[in-house]
Amino acid sequence: MRRFVLTTISILLFISTWCALPALAAVNCELNNPSSDVPRLFPVSNSFTKTYFSFSQPGKEPLLRKVEARLGGVPVLYAPLNVPYTLYEIYKDKKKIGYIHGVNQKGQYGVIEVFVSLDMHGTIKAFYIQRMAGPWTKKFTSHTFGKQFIGLSLADFELYDTVTCKGTGAVASIINPAPEAMTDFYGLLRALKKNLILMDEFFYSVKR
Amino acid sequence: MISKFQIATKNLLRKKVRTLLTLVGIMLSSWVLASLLGFNRGYENALNHDIDNMGYQLMVMAKGCPYEAATLMLQGGTGLRYIERSMIDSIINKPEVDKVTPILMQAYFDPDKGDGGGIAGYFGVEAASFPGMKPFFRFRTGGWFRSETSDEAVMGYEAAELEQREVGDMIMVPEKNVPLKVVGILERTGTQDDGTIFVPLKALQKIAGTDKITTIGIKVKNNTDSAKLENDLYQLPDVQVVSFTQVKQTIMKLISTARVMALSIAIVAILIAMVGVVNTVLMSVLERRQEIGILKTMGAMPGDIFRLVWTETLIICSIGGIAGIGCALLFARGTDVLVRRILPYSPGGGLVSIDGKSVLLTLAIIMVIGLLSGIYPAWQAGRVRPLDSIRSDG
Repeated sequence: MRRFVLTTISILLFISTWCALPALAAVNCELNNPSSDVPRLFPVSNSFTKTYFSFSQPGKEPLLRKVEARLGGVPVLYAPLNVPYTLYEIYKDKKKIGYIHGVNQKGQYGVIEVFVSLDMHGTIKAFYIQRMAGPWTKKFTSHTFGKQFIGLSLADFELYDTVTCKGTGAVASIINPAPEAMTDFYGLLRALKKNLILMDEFFYSVKR
Repeated sequence: MISKFQIATKNLLRKKVRTLLTLVGIMLSSWVLASLLGFNRGYENALNHDIDNMGYQLMVMAKGCPYEAATLMLQGGTGLRYIERSMIDSIINKPEVDKVTPILMQAYFDPDKGDGGGIAGYFGVEAASFPGMKPFFRFRTGGWFRSETSDEAVMGYEAAELEQREVGDMIMVPEKNVPLKVVGILERTGTQDDGTIFVPLKALQKIAGTDKITTIGIKVKNNTDSAKLENDLYQLPDVQVVSFTQVKQTIMKLISTARVMALSIAIVAILIAMVGVVNTVLMSVLERRQEIGILKTMGAMPGDIFRLVWTETLIICSIGGIAGIGCALLFARGTDVLVRRILPYSPGGGLVSIDGKSVLLTLAIIMVIGLLSGIYPAWQAGRVRPLDSIRSDG
């Protein structure tokens, strides 16, 4: 009897605490319309689940420092790292076939929300800018620009220094469609590298 | 000597699960009732707080729908119709007027905002007169515009956080492609101002290609007749006056439906709890018919038995009522979040404010209803015939 009462009280307290959590302190990056965005970004999928991960979980502080270091040790170039991240796990029937994950990046005239769909090996299958401000937005959201990222993985981004914006390989040869928007172009590359590093640290390397 | 209270407590503890379930029923109804009373008080307080934070008590705007006007004020919205700036001269000299400030509201379609685009709203305000209307504004960083014509912006806390802007960064006015430099970011106010982007009035007029304004905010002097001023303002051509008393009444009318619904739920919960109390106490009486008969043979009067059974009701109702109030206080923040998700318009600040008066009122209602529920079982117990009950199988 006592156990029943205590369990009930614990559940109620948990629900209340959960409900009472303030709106996420920092801004999260979520798909605006997952039911149509997911099939578009992952055409072979037929279902998805939404999960969250963040550095605020206990014991994640060293991981945060590690990710900061992997990003070149200049966190100011990126949107705040210590925020909750939304991850879309993509399924075909019951088999997980990949992920869709987006991050925010500080752009020249506002926030940039950029998503990639990744297969189970971390290779980019689709690239999607959900939000960007500026007269050049259409150039960046064009198919021509986006397809340059298809097939790239973290290994390609490791050859490119997103702090100095110099490097070699496929990422270095990506063509900026709007030379007048260097902040947004480099911002996109930084956002993608951050995205892939986060996915590597939280999922791919854990699996390996 | 054992007291009636002790006997009643022991009786209740004989059937722990049944008593607990009855307690839970009363607790839930008490919880709902206390939360509802707290909501009634809290919502009005929060609305008053929001309206006070508007900084002005009256707004003058071009004739249009008052509901759209209310939306403009409290949620931001598209500029409806324009009025001449010279209208200010007709208002400022009125004896009841303390301060006035011209405002231009503009909304532009941003195709890259949200799913399929969204509206980005801008408030053109005068750095000379607007801050005086909002003395409670505090800057997190930066300050107001350097001039009335500069291409600058002051962002509310949430607007800046959403766009990841800091002082010195740029923002772009969609459609017009005009860059603005962020010169100030406000501290969180808990009001609609948090999501607002303020631009110098003349700069926004230039962007919008107009020299007119959409609204005049009026702060009325203390201890003056604002109703008279309102009537005077109505004499101005082609304008409508929106007083915040009027806005508050409109919103309270809109919200009254939700309150009636919540009250209905509370009444149903209380009725269910009442039935639960009657059932529990009546069952207890029926199970103890022989005991009651023995008590009567030992000299207990019907009144004594009545009071004994009523005491049981009193104990259940007190504990359940207090537990429910405790839950309402403990989970007030959670209730706040849930209510906020349901309501069409929620002012900033706490929506559920449970004070001492609400607590006492809830307890009184639960006790009275509980005691009324106890009358029938207690009366049944009081009229048990000793010999019949002792002879019965039990």
